[in-house]
Amino acid sequence: MEKSTAALLVALGAVPGAWLRFRVVNHWEPMLPRKHWGTFGVNVIAAFALGLVVGLEQSCNGTGQRLLLLIGTGFFGSFSTFSSFIGEVHAELRQRHWGEVLLLVAGSVLGGLLALKLGLLLGMES
Amino acid sequence: MNQALRHELRDLALVAAGAIPGALLRWQLELVASASGGRLRAITGADLLANLLGCLLIGVLLAQPPRRTRLYLWGGIGFCGSLTTFSSWMLELVRGLDAGRPLQVLAVLAISLLGGLALVQVGYGLGRRLRP
Repeated sequence: MEKSTAALLVALGAVPGAWLRFRVVNHWEPMLPRKHWGTFGVNVIAAFALGLVVGLEQSCNGTGQRLLLLIGTGFFGSFSTFSSFIGEVHAELRQRHWGEVLLLVAGSVLGGLLALKLGLLLGMES
Repeated sequence: MNQALRHELRDLALVAAGAIPGALLRWQLELVASASGGRLRAITGADLLANLLGCLLIGVLLAQPPRRTRLYLWGGIGFCGSLTTFSSWMLELVRGLDAGRPLQVLAVLAISLLGGLALVQVGYGLGRRLRP
């Protein structure tokens, strides 16, 4: 694959991914008591979906390199975020909300791992 | 065009203008990581470099006055949000667990979380000095 084609696929996936994250987090912010559960939701959904896409690609004998760049690296890579997650953990630490820190970190890591594994298994089944 | 729509389009354009270079930089860092072999591969995988760099930058932005919305849309939500990723991080951890390397998974987890928090703090300190 041409390098310029690959770059275009990543960029084409990244823009709607970032837009959707921006909209979803902004939408959830006023409804939930704390903003970071919007980011949490986005990240866990992205982990499940990436697992599904990677699993599906594997069951197609790895012929979906272009699709992985567009959807995996571009779209879900941009849709999910690590900087907001850590930024929000940092904000809770500064306010000494220890319980909230533990809940957010453990929930994100365990929820993300489970969601990704579930997506992967579902994708490889089909 | 009415004002609300114009603002909406401006916000989306700012997010997209940050998201494209952010995602392309992450993709290039991934290529560097997969080209490096052995032990370095384990550390540079999971988009660790991109995620840690994004934490440093988001720290700088978080220290800026809240009225700088446009800077935050472009640099924070667009660039840092797309440069960093949660889903690929999880993929790398699940692959490590499936391959029977729980210690490596724990190491990547700890470096990501503690390193990320430390870099947000460093970025925040730097950002306060940059405040106008």
